[in-house]
Amino acid sequence: MSDAHRHVKGLLAHKRRLVGTFLAVFIGVAFLSGTLVLGDTMRGNFDTLFTEANAGTDVVVRHASQLSTDPGEPDSQRGLVDASAVDRVRNVDGVAAAAPSVEGFGQLVGKNGDKLGGNGPPTLAGNWIENRDLNPYRLVDGRAPRADGEVVINRGAANDGNLRVGDTTTVQAPEPIPVKVVGIATFGSSDGLGRVTFTAFTLESAQQHLLHRTDQVGSISVKAQPGVSQDELVERVQRVLPDGDEAITGAKLTNENTSDINKEFLDLFTTFLTVFAGVALLVAAFSIYNTFSIIVAQRTRESALLRAIGAGRSQILASVVFEALLVGLVASAVGLLGGVGIAGLLKVLFDAVGFSLPAGGLVFNASVVVISMIVGVVVTLLAGVAPAVKASRVAPLAAIRDVSVERTTASPRRAITGVALTAIGVGVVLTAVLSGGDSVLALAGLGALLTIVGVLVFGPVVARPASGVIGAPLRWLRGVAGSLARQNAMRNPRRTSGTAAALMVGVGVVTLFTIFAASLKSAIDDSVSKSFTGDLVISTGTFGGGGISPQLAGDVAQLPEVRDATGLGRGRALVGTGTENVTIADPARLGGVLNLDVTDGSVRSLSSQQLAVSERIADDKGWKRGTTVPVTFSDGATTEFTVGAIYKARDIAGNYILPRAAWTPHAVQDIDSTVLIRLKNGVALETGRHAVERTASAYGAPDVEDRGQYADSVGQFVNMMLGIVYVLLALAILIALMGIANTLSLSVYERTRELGLLRAIGETRRQVRSMIRWESVIIAVFGTVGGLGVGVFLGWALVEAASQGTGDMIAPSFTAPVGQLAVLLVVGAAAGVLAGLRPAHRAAKLPVLRAVAAE
Amino acid sequence: MTSTLAPPQAAVARTEHATKVYGSGETAVRAIDDVTVEFAAGRFTAIMGPSGSGKSTLMHCAAGLDSLTSGEVFVGDVALGSLSDRELTLLRRDRIGFVFQSYNLIPTLTALENITLPSALAGRKPNREWVDGVIETVGLRDRLSHRPSELSGGQQQRVAVARALATRPQIVFADEPTGNLDSRAGAEILEFMAQAVRDLAQTIVMVTHDPAAAAYADRVVFLGDGKVVGELADPTAESVINRMQQLGG
Repeated sequence: MSDAHRHVKGLLAHKRRLVGTFLAVFIGVAFLSGTLVLGDTMRGNFDTLFTEANAGTDVVVRHASQLSTDPGEPDSQRGLVDASAVDRVRNVDGVAAAAPSVEGFGQLVGKNGDKLGGNGPPTLAGNWIENRDLNPYRLVDGRAPRADGEVVINRGAANDGNLRVGDTTTVQAPEPIPVKVVGIATFGSSDGLGRVTFTAFTLESAQQHLLHRTDQVGSISVKAQPGVSQDELVERVQRVLPDGDEAITGAKLTNENTSDINKEFLDLFTTFLTVFAGVALLVAAFSIYNTFSIIVAQRTRESALLRAIGAGRSQILASVVFEALLVGLVASAVGLLGGVGIAGLLKVLFDAVGFSLPAGGLVFNASVVVISMIVGVVVTLLAGVAPAVKASRVAPLAAIRDVSVERTTASPRRAITGVALTAIGVGVVLTAVLSGGDSVLALAGLGALLTIVGVLVFGPVVARPASGVIGAPLRWLRGVAGSLARQNAMRNPRRTSGTAAALMVGVGVVTLFTIFAASLKSAIDDSVSKSFTGDLVISTGTFGGGGISPQLAGDVAQLPEVRDATGLGRGRALVGTGTENVTIADPARLGGVLNLDVTDGSVRSLSSQQLAVSERIADDKGWKRGTTVPVTFSDGATTEFTVGAIYKARDIAGNYILPRAAWTPHAVQDIDSTVLIRLKNGVALETGRHAVERTASAYGAPDVEDRGQYADSVGQFVNMMLGIVYVLLALAILIALMGIANTLSLSVYERTRELGLLRAIGETRRQVRSMIRWESVIIAVFGTVGGLGVGVFLGWALVEAASQGTGDMIAPSFTAPVGQLAVLLVVGAAAGVLAGLRPAHRAAKLPVLRAVAAE
Repeated sequence: MTSTLAPPQAAVARTEHATKVYGSGETAVRAIDDVTVEFAAGRFTAIMGPSGSGKSTLMHCAAGLDSLTSGEVFVGDVALGSLSDRELTLLRRDRIGFVFQSYNLIPTLTALENITLPSALAGRKPNREWVDGVIETVGLRDRLSHRPSELSGGQQQRVAVARALATRPQIVFADEPTGNLDSRAGAEILEFMAQAVRDLAQTIVMVTHDPAAAAYADRVVFLGDGKVVGELADPTAESVINRMQQLGG
């Protein structure tokens, strides 16, 4: 019989104990390949979409200045191009056609009154381009718009909003515009550019509604005559353009679009998913390591005699390597297939939480196969062979002698190393967090890694006393079965801690996110209660996917019930040296609804040549009241501003406040994202709300929220993020649970004789089950408590590190949600019960006699 | 030590036409074949026979560890054949003591915990006085807090004997209890068992293939090919060997 043949036979003989390993590798690899496939798919879809969008366009003329790279932000557009340029470009030699293009924010309202789209992809409005080469949209029903108020909409939006040709509805740009749908269009052959909604007016209407001027256009799309290359044409067109305008090739535009979406969204998105795939794989690695440790220990004993009479240890190693390799290969291959399913499920998950990803077939690159297979096999091999190498160092006779008790104890060296690593890790984290500085996150991350490694090394040292403490109540609660369970959990601290480690990592990450989310939400609640002094808020929802007409704030302010109302707009501008998010507001009114905690100067008296900045930014940049700061707007104009006020409360207003009077002349579309309202004294909240809602109904009925609802809606993205994170981590926890179940099954197998003895002298099946179940619970609780500890500490560190950043995000303030953490602990313990079910069942079913008689 | 002495001839356990068949058809093996035997109260009975004679099977079936193919086993007046797994378990726990050849103790428990394990499983407090007496008898006083791995083979078997006696079971079954011990340690164990029968009126059934061990018993039952082939009262090592030779062993 060949070696390989023998190995395979051995494998099949022990297939049961390999099921857990197989599943761990399978899930880990499936998750990894799933995220890779999803990432590739989305990259591919966006790529196709942008290529298609620009397919017939050889050259694009546009304003040269660029402040923002975010294609989803309508108010961060470039400046405009003079309409007169269109004719000049048309006359350039080699130009077959040139069409002016206008694009801006415009959200369609569906038949039932709900706004369509948003939630990530932009809601766009523009002009219908008659030239088929320059327009990626194709009419499939109706006709092109001919008059003001006539629009063509994309089929996806039409379906979502139940709109047909001939229907009338509203487009908010952000002023409500009554429109009549005269045509339905597809984007190429699909329903739309991903999930982007598109409403096309006539050129004049688009200019009027989106640009509020008719002498300018957004850009010019140019089609070359046959034989004229894109590069050639760019050069020729560029010559007729005024300063400040630029011509680029269609290919370059596609590249820009693609790299923009990668930078702004896909890279972050795929990194985010990959992190969780990494966690799942790490947890899987622990499970595999543990399983193989036990398998190897058992086999070492099984073959101890053989080895005593001269069999080489390489033979044992070879069979483990073979086993790990085979399991790794098969499980990774199957996992790869599972990944396709996971990719589909993830897409459904993101859709379910209201986060739209572009549709399209799955892209399955060869690189996914290579990466997944390599990672899967290498992880399995490393995790499987490491314990084999370790075990093969045990002298054969020691292995024989050690048949009954594997009472391994942790070495002092391990204790010292573990404590030292943990201490250094904690020290690094604390230093990073407490000293602050630019590299807080990087340093804290390093410290976190050291802490986790330290805790893992230290695990076996504490596993015995910890299991003793956790199991202590069982002696009273569950009698001798509980006591035996406790002893069993304590008997092999290495195994216990190895088994618990997987759960610890999973629970640790869950805790980290729970802490971070709770801290963020409490900061949001805090800021709403402290900074916001009004009663009602009109907002556009979680993603800011909509927009509010600035007129609404004015109308609301006129209401007899309202004392103060002011709109906050969000925009981007080049402030000093960097492109920043700025808040646009009426300084005179801001104080009525917002407590900015001004430390220097006055926001109220801000002139149109002044801006207000947060204290953090002022400190960071060394600005004082009176410092001159150049601000460049999206139309390319630069104005010298002076710092007129410095404020502390940046949670609602952000880091920069620009007076509306200074912003509007440079803005293409003026859009508010929030309107803050303070009612007159004595006006009941509901009365005020009704009045505001009546006024707002003319503006597409945006949500009117009271303070509590506002805090909730601001915090909604936190819940959404947490929801996704929980689902992703559930996989890791599942792998950890299978690890526990697997270890216990192997332990049960190992303790066959002991169980037989117990049964012989009078342990009932129920007691056997209870014993195994409670051992499982002790291990699970040990892992959960460890995870909670590490997670709370690292969560605290993350919160502290994040709160020191100068970003726009609301700075989280550390909150430990005791209730949620207690629930986690209970869930961990319950998971232990679950993981123990099968092993307990098997242990109880062991025939007494075979166990007793086994030699 | 005071204890109720049962009438010497009352059977604590008995089998009636006990038959155990392993396998079926052509490969069927009758491990024990129509065995009817009684184990009298307060007596030390040895079951002897060559390998494959069915002595272990008889003991396992009599002790409720294995079930018969036909026939019946009674412990006291309880017929084991009609008991559920749970009832059998409780019967073993409350009425029967066990000493196996090896692997008698739970490695995670101390000697004392092992001795009191059956009571603990029953959720009862052990009879302190009785247990103390047993511990004294087997001479384990200074080893009580040790775990099995810290005890010699002989000491481990003494703990096992103590455990078997600790619940004052109606009957103790011992399966080659000295099989893994050197002769001195083995003699000690056998002496403890004989002493328990003598002084505590304990009923013990021991399976052995060692004539010297059988000599400690009051009575020897010889098995061959699954059937009872002879009996010997008040055996000595010589008489056992002689009888075995007569039986062609």
